[in-house]
Amino acid sequence: MKNMLYKEFKLALHPTSMIFLSLSAMMLIPNYPYYMIFFYTTLAIFFTCLSGRENHDIFYSMTLPIRKRDIVKSRFTLVIILELLQILTAIPFALIRRTFSLPGNLVGMDANVAFFGLSFLMLGLFNLVFFTKYYKDTDKVGKSFLWGTIAITLYMIIAEIGVHVVPFMKNTLDTKDPEFLLVKLWVLAAGIVFYALLTFFSYQRSVRSFEVLDL
Amino acid sequence: MSVLSVKDLCKKYDKFELNKVSFELEKGTITGFIGRNGAGKTTTLKSLLNLVHPNRGEIMFFGKSYNENEFEIKQKIGFVSGGIDYYPKKKIKTITGTTRRFYKNWDEKAYQHYMDLFKLDENKTPDELSAGMKVKYALVLALSHNAELLILDEPTSGLDPVSRDDLLDVFMGLSNDGITLLFSTHITSDLDKCADNIIYIKNGEILASTDLNSFLTEYKVLALTDEELTDELKSKLIGCKKSKHGFSALIRASDSENLDLAMSGADLESIVVHLEKE
Repeated sequence: MKNMLYKEFKLALHPTSMIFLSLSAMMLIPNYPYYMIFFYTTLAIFFTCLSGRENHDIFYSMTLPIRKRDIVKSRFTLVIILELLQILTAIPFALIRRTFSLPGNLVGMDANVAFFGLSFLMLGLFNLVFFTKYYKDTDKVGKSFLWGTIAITLYMIIAEIGVHVVPFMKNTLDTKDPEFLLVKLWVLAAGIVFYALLTFFSYQRSVRSFEVLDL
Repeated sequence: MSVLSVKDLCKKYDKFELNKVSFELEKGTITGFIGRNGAGKTTTLKSLLNLVHPNRGEIMFFGKSYNENEFEIKQKIGFVSGGIDYYPKKKIKTITGTTRRFYKNWDEKAYQHYMDLFKLDENKTPDELSAGMKVKYALVLALSHNAELLILDEPTSGLDPVSRDDLLDVFMGLSNDGITLLFSTHITSDLDKCADNIIYIKNGEILASTDLNSFLTEYKVLALTDEELTDELKSKLIGCKKSKHGFSALIRASDSENLDLAMSGADLESIVVHLEKE
């Protein structure tokens, strides 16, 4: 597994993935739908899978002494690392907003603790939709990404409209930290749990689909 | 114990079917896998490595089932499918640097030896290599982890005659060292030079799986004029076709005994060409 992960970083990872991590700085934009930052993470995942198809990554991997399921496992590990890195790099910018008392986000959700919980959920949703499609036919990367994008776009629209119309989201979640911190921490915890569950479920289904896929 | 044993391998597609493919490879032998385009060679080879899933059949490497011992078996085999076509923009040293980590028996000395032998430059990318050099690099990777069985899909295509000959020498040397080779090819003269056994596949079915010499001595090639091509003779001929000076056909050695006609020993190419005409 260590070797496969080395292969993922050395050969498979699309270079833009690292550049997209710097887009966490977009949290400093005064008014912006901050979920877009994580859309760029999914774009990096898409680029990596797409360039994998063009570079015959799966064929190469299949000639190596590994089990077929290891290909899925290493890709999920890479993706989880990328997603967590994006969240980790976003946290300092959220802290800057808080430290310097920048005004709240007028477009949608504030960059607060609950936002990160909801972002975890969004990434979990992407992992579920994108990878379960992708591992049914690894040549159809674009189609899988389209479904993944539709899913998270709907999620972003609902989440951002929610903070304007749903009283709980508007008055409790979309507030500056540390107001309602306990509730927000619960949302963060729930987001992490759902992210883990959705990603794990997606992994299991992907392994099953990939095992029976003719390459 | 066979190095590789395939029994009743079946794979059904909409327009093609691999039907009860069976063969065995013995240690230290070179086996040529021949058949025309679309006969099922690549599908068979891909099935061996789980790249496609057979509907039925049993595949055993070194007496062990592939599905249950994929990891262990892959350490002991090398698979080359044409030239290297993965990661064409990465430097060869990066690809090797990644690949070598996976093999506990990686032999750096052998790697350097074959890189020198094939005059490959580690600082080039696969895109900068000719078709023949791509095949050679793929072979270097397969030869550098002390594989006991090499499965090669068209390893000699795209190579110039001298490089092909060099490669066949390498194959024979490996075979003498006890390594087993299975390779598919369209260049039947390569097999005339080095193969011990032949597996001949046509329309997804194995027509012959035997040692090369008995396969060759089974047939004779006839060169016939219009007058010599009688109806009685026609019934014995295989794949009779027009040639520059009349007709040429294959005939079973047993049917040729009392014939007073110009005939010669058959080579693989003439056997395959005539059998495919049937």
